Amino acid sequence: MIRFITLCTVLIWAAEASAQQANDLGTDEQREAGKVLYDIKCAHCHGYSGDAISVATPFVRPTPRDFTSGNYKSRSTASGELPTTEDIRRSIRLGMPYTSMPAWEGILSEAEITNLAYYLKSFDAAFAGPYGNPTVVEVPPAPGYSDDPDHLARGRAVFEANQCADCHGDNGRGNGLSAPDLEDEWGFHIRPADMTKRWTYRASSTREDIYRTFMTGLNGTPMPSYQQSIEEADRWALVDYVWSLSRSTPDYGTVATAIGQSQALDLGDPLLFADAPEAYFPIVGQVIEPGREFNPGVNGIAVRAVFDTTHIALQLRWHDMTAETASHNHPSLPAPLFNPAQADTSAGDWSDAVALLWPAATPVGLERPYFMFGDTKNPMSIWFADLATDSAAALLGQGTGLITESDWPIESTAGYEDGMWTIVMKGPRRMGEMTFEERAFVPVSFSVWDGFNRERGNKRGLSAWYHIYMEPIEQESVLLPMAKWALIVLLVELALVGLVRWRAGRRDEY
Amino acid sequence: MNLLVLLTIAAVLVVIQVGVTRWVNLNRLAWMAIWWAALWAAFSYGITPPLPQSIVVLFMAIITIALLAYLSADSEELAQARQTLVSFMVEKRYQVALIVVILTLPLLVALSVFSSLNQAPQPPASGRTIHPVPPASISFEGNTINLSTANNPYRELEHSDPEAFAAHVDNGRRVYFENCFYCHGDNMEGAGQFAHGYDPLPANFNDATTIAMLQESYLFWRIAKGAPGLPPESTPWSSAMPAWENFLTEEEIWDVILFLYEFTGFEPRAQGMPH
Repeated sequence: MIRFITLCTVLIWAAEASAQQANDLGTDEQREAGKVLYDIKCAHCHGYSGDAISVATPFVRPTPRDFTSGNYKSRSTASGELPTTEDIRRSIRLGMPYTSMPAWEGILSEAEITNLAYYLKSFDAAFAGPYGNPTVVEVPPAPGYSDDPDHLARGRAVFEANQCADCHGDNGRGNGLSAPDLEDEWGFHIRPADMTKRWTYRASSTREDIYRTFMTGLNGTPMPSYQQSIEEADRWALVDYVWSLSRSTPDYGTVATAIGQSQALDLGDPLLFADAPEAYFPIVGQVIEPGREFNPGVNGIAVRAVFDTTHIALQLRWHDMTAETASHNHPSLPAPLFNPAQADTSAGDWSDAVALLWPAATPVGLERPYFMFGDTKNPMSIWFADLATDSAAALLGQGTGLITESDWPIESTAGYEDGMWTIVMKGPRRMGEMTFEERAFVPVSFSVWDGFNRERGNKRGLSAWYHIYMEPIEQESVLLPMAKWALIVLLVELALVGLVRWRAGRRDEY
Repeated sequence: MNLLVLLTIAAVLVVIQVGVTRWVNLNRLAWMAIWWAALWAAFSYGITPPLPQSIVVLFMAIITIALLAYLSADSEELAQARQTLVSFMVEKRYQVALIVVILTLPLLVALSVFSSLNQAPQPPASGRTIHPVPPASISFEGNTINLSTANNPYRELEHSDPEAFAAHVDNGRRVYFENCFYCHGDNMEGAGQFAHGYDPLPANFNDATTIAMLQESYLFWRIAKGAPGLPPESTPWSSAMPAWENFLTEEEIWDVILFLYEFTGFEPRAQGMPH
């Protein structure tokens, strides 16, 4: 019996020793070097004790990672398990796109990133314990991407069978029915990924990364692991289906070309914008004036434009998790100076809204109105659509809080379908001192209010100045100038050769 | 300088100059054409950042004149070159080649007209002054601050009271991460979460041409007055820099300036030194 107990003790001791040996915790020197770097580069968000209690935390969503919790989003290990050192290194290297976590690759050396990873592990004792050495979920080498309809249909079937659409929406735009109610581990609302925007994926965006995310889930979020529920044969079909819904880069533009047409614009025509190229512009938080918005609900807007002899119409489209159409919204509504990301009012208090902002007078030279809401010297013309109503109105902006009605008639249509707003606004090409001349580059900027995100007044998503190029209705043919110059060159050549030959001929005569 | 391209061009020229001319009687016109093409390639592809097209055209015009002057300096060579051209245009054995050249040139011209007319129109370029001359003084919460004499009042603590200095730097860190890092970034390289949405891009404080070459009073002016306080040549209507006097106290602004230098490791330019 004593012998048996001794044997057990020895076995347990040996098992613990081997577990401890296998845990990858780095050396004291590495962790100390990591701490020095962490206190300089990381502590202001993640907290000096790794608990995400910091100056930036109240303003940042998603919240900075709490390293004492052991919850790591991006991992190669099974759902609920700790990450490997390499997982932490990858997250530091690549950052979390479209959050306040930047990519440190190129700024910190590989050795520094490794030191940081070991120091992060020291915040959570579990890394030194028996679960500190988790097994990696192997991602098999990816077969080539296939857009074979049967293959994608199979992916779609897996997508449906696993209720991906409940959170991510039918076309992956992050607008599932349960999306407004999702919470992270700490009780904050969390948006499901907009699958169509691969550049915003948190756990990076190669096909292998997407496969890994399906297998491992994202700890601390409602995204579970599908390792058990999706058969191996179906996994790449699902990855490729998601891939087929998405683009890899936002391809942000700086100019939207408005196509001129001779027949009158008809907002009822479903093909009104069929020939107009689409430009995609970034939308960022208004963090400049009171009503600062650190977490805008919308991060990009797609724009197309057409015009006839008297009017210009723009189509604006953006993805929005939910359509708030109950209440009201207006650019002049007051918003607190500096409110943390916590919800200060209820969702549904404010409706979604959008605005096109133009100079109120055609700019002379490069000077334009101040891009917020203009100022008294250089006012702005604002075409504003409150999406709780069916109409749009023109406003005059002379600065924040100085927004008044104006008389220009603006027609509009609005529709929300499957996570996407589509708004068309049509107004006159001549509004007093502001004209939309053919061949002109007209400065334009955009503002989007997400009612769900409590955006109103100056608390909004906005863009810097971009341009609408007015492509002429009557396109001049390039054939004429081509023929003209070719003919001129030909005549000069013939004249030269003729002259040389004539002189050579005369010389021969003598 | 793109050394690889320049060395290749030089090597080709040397081979032609030394090797080919020794055994083959290279026509002066062909020699000129080779030099012309080599210099054009050097200007167009050998220099980084690339020269503007208009500068390359100007250089090539000068080189054309120089080559012609070189050619005409020797009457025998000039006669030889002229004879080559005349026989190409007159003699029957070159007739087919002549017709090809006569037809090809107008086609090339038509093609270049086509491509120049089909270029997407470019929006008006905006030139802006990055470091405009600051005003002599600014008013901050009713006080006048003389920018040419003002010093950071907490800078001297660095030596007299390091502990108090560290507290100011730490307060500056708080200010930075509550307000600035959304645009200027965690690492102060101007690549914050919202940087991609603004034009001009947020300043990169790690760059040697920003805070490293400025006085602390200059930073105070730019932070306190923001974009709206810029002179017209710096396009105040484009920059997204807020006027922080609306949000921060004077002490907070001086503190965040301390933190910018502390974090990047740069020293502020001393007062009294010219810009």
